[in-house]
Amino acid sequence: MNMQRISQRIWDIVGGVSVRTKILGIVLGFIILMGLGVTIQARYALTATMNAQLEEQSVSAARDLAARAADPILLNDLLALHDLLKETIANNPNIRYAFIVDNRGQIIAHTFEGGFPLDLISFNSAQTGEHHHTALIQTDEGLVWDTAVPILDGKVGAARVGLSDASVRAAVSTLTAQLILTIVLVSMTGVLVAVFLTWILTRPIISLAQATQAVAKGSFSPRVPRWANDEIGDLADAFNAMTEELARTDELRREREFLRRQLLEKVISTQEDERRRIARELHDSTSQNLTSLIVGLRVMETNCAQCPSISKAADLREVASKTLDEVHDLSMRLRPRVLDDLGLSAALERLVSEWQARHKIPVDVAIQLGERLPGDVETAIYRIIQETLTNIARHAQAKSASILVERHGDMVRAIVEDDGIGFDSRANHSERHLGLLGMRERAELLHGSVTIESSLERGTSIFIEIPLRASLLAGEGLEVRS
Amino acid sequence: MTTRVLLADDHAVLRTGLRLLLEGQNEFEVVAEASTGSEALSLAEKLQPDLILLDLSMPGMDGMDVLPTMRKLVPSTKILILTMHDDSQYLRQALKHGASGYVLKKAADAELISAIRSVLRGEMYVHPSMTRVLLEDILPDAKSSRTDLTWASLSEREQEVLKMVALGHTSAEIAEQLNLSAKTVETYRARGMEKLGLRTRAALVKFVLQEGLMKTE
Repeated sequence: MNMQRISQRIWDIVGGVSVRTKILGIVLGFIILMGLGVTIQARYALTATMNAQLEEQSVSAARDLAARAADPILLNDLLALHDLLKETIANNPNIRYAFIVDNRGQIIAHTFEGGFPLDLISFNSAQTGEHHHTALIQTDEGLVWDTAVPILDGKVGAARVGLSDASVRAAVSTLTAQLILTIVLVSMTGVLVAVFLTWILTRPIISLAQATQAVAKGSFSPRVPRWANDEIGDLADAFNAMTEELARTDELRREREFLRRQLLEKVISTQEDERRRIARELHDSTSQNLTSLIVGLRVMETNCAQCPSISKAADLREVASKTLDEVHDLSMRLRPRVLDDLGLSAALERLVSEWQARHKIPVDVAIQLGERLPGDVETAIYRIIQETLTNIARHAQAKSASILVERHGDMVRAIVEDDGIGFDSRANHSERHLGLLGMRERAELLHGSVTIESSLERGTSIFIEIPLRASLLAGEGLEVRS
Repeated sequence: MTTRVLLADDHAVLRTGLRLLLEGQNEFEVVAEASTGSEALSLAEKLQPDLILLDLSMPGMDGMDVLPTMRKLVPSTKILILTMHDDSQYLRQALKHGASGYVLKKAADAELISAIRSVLRGEMYVHPSMTRVLLEDILPDAKSSRTDLTWASLSEREQEVLKMVALGHTSAEIAEQLNLSAKTVETYRARGMEKLGLRTRAALVKFVLQEGLMKTE
């Protein structure tokens, strides 16, 4: 559990940085780790070797001093002893000090200039019969290799020489500094190489990513160059092949969509024309004929009140009158004359008043349009609202409804709302869905849109938006393209 | 003394029927028949009839087109519209342009004679199914006469939401613009409307316009 969390955290960090950073990290980490390892190893080896040498030097210097100091001690020639000590120190720069003690442990001669540190005597001594004895003393000037060699088997005293490790330390720190400088230089080279490497690696990946984004936005023209003959190059080739295929499919789809739209437009306009023609026919010709029939029958009734079969005329007139009503209604439903003659607002008022009368659901209407709209826009809005009202009557169980039609600049917006049971606008009710789809198509043909907001128990709102300028331009656009 | 009538209708069979119907009553005499608007206009000027029966839709200039001119040419002649159109807007327009009456063709057999008589008496005649339209124009809207509708009693949020509702925004749009959830918007809207005693968006728009609340927009 805990391990998982830690590995997750590590992945968050590693996965969160770019490929460039990852490669840089790998290269730098490797160089630094390697350099540090080498440095530590070198320091250790150098220190060990040099310390061994120091110890040897310390022994040989002390033995030499002991051998040469025997005579002056016996002769009690202090001057000669001093010269001897001076010479010893001068011969080896590593020698920090040298001194000679007699067999009672008293200092006979020493090289300290500011007085002899007394406790130094007790740190080291050679036992009788010992050839020499070396001790490592920790002083405030660093480590000192102190060797004691008995003079004439310790009978006259002992010679002591101390060698400081200052030179060892200096050599080690010089080496360390050089190694660190090397690491820094190598790191810089490494960074340059890594940057170059990442560039080579990521360049094709970045161009692939850019091309993918372009494709996602629907632009199929960009091609990805094959930078290198490797796996990424294969990917680029595969990508290009895919894009070409997509472009072909998209072109085909566009063409079909264009044709479909044209066909739909044609179907709708043909349907409207046909409805208009039949409605007009019914209104102007059939209705007039029926009216003539009614008036004629009426005249017959008045002129021939005593004719035997005259009661039939009244019945016939009744039938004709009913037929006239039906024809009128039919014509109205096909396409109301007033939509062409007086415009959308009159047609909607008419539609609403009949709908209210039939379904007994009150409808609030607010229409602010000013002048007439283009015919196709009026028809589309009328039909969409008609369909919506049909839906409300059929499904909504509404207590009231509202229709709002407004013009905002170049945009006509119509909102039809009811306070009914609503529906889940995402669910797919086949029949109703088809109706909504039809509305949407109708609006989209005029570059408009239909938005539906509905939730259970909250009622339904249908928002229809149709731009006016586009509908004027749309016709021209089609002509240019076809 | 008989009343001289001009028949203007593009349908010949109907004209014949009407002529028979009118002349069956002894008080009427059909002095001429016209089948287009312009023909009706020239005949009216020439014959100065007492009454013109005018169809609204005729080829060329229709009845509605010639009505204003006709009114000026023969100011003392009564003009009675006889039409298939039962839309309120036609009725309003016809009356505005000087028609004395409006009869629907479907009622021609039963009402035409009495309508003509009313018009000749100097009264107005409108087909009964259409008088409601005229009354609605005259009578104040029952809803808008309520006086307890106070915009100020709404909370600031409710006012904001209702203004946007009146401007025609979807709940989703309002929610986004005001940083609320769609459900909250619905609640504000429902509460605000309830306080104002309004039921629908259209009623709200009318209220907002009437109160001049949109002047800043």
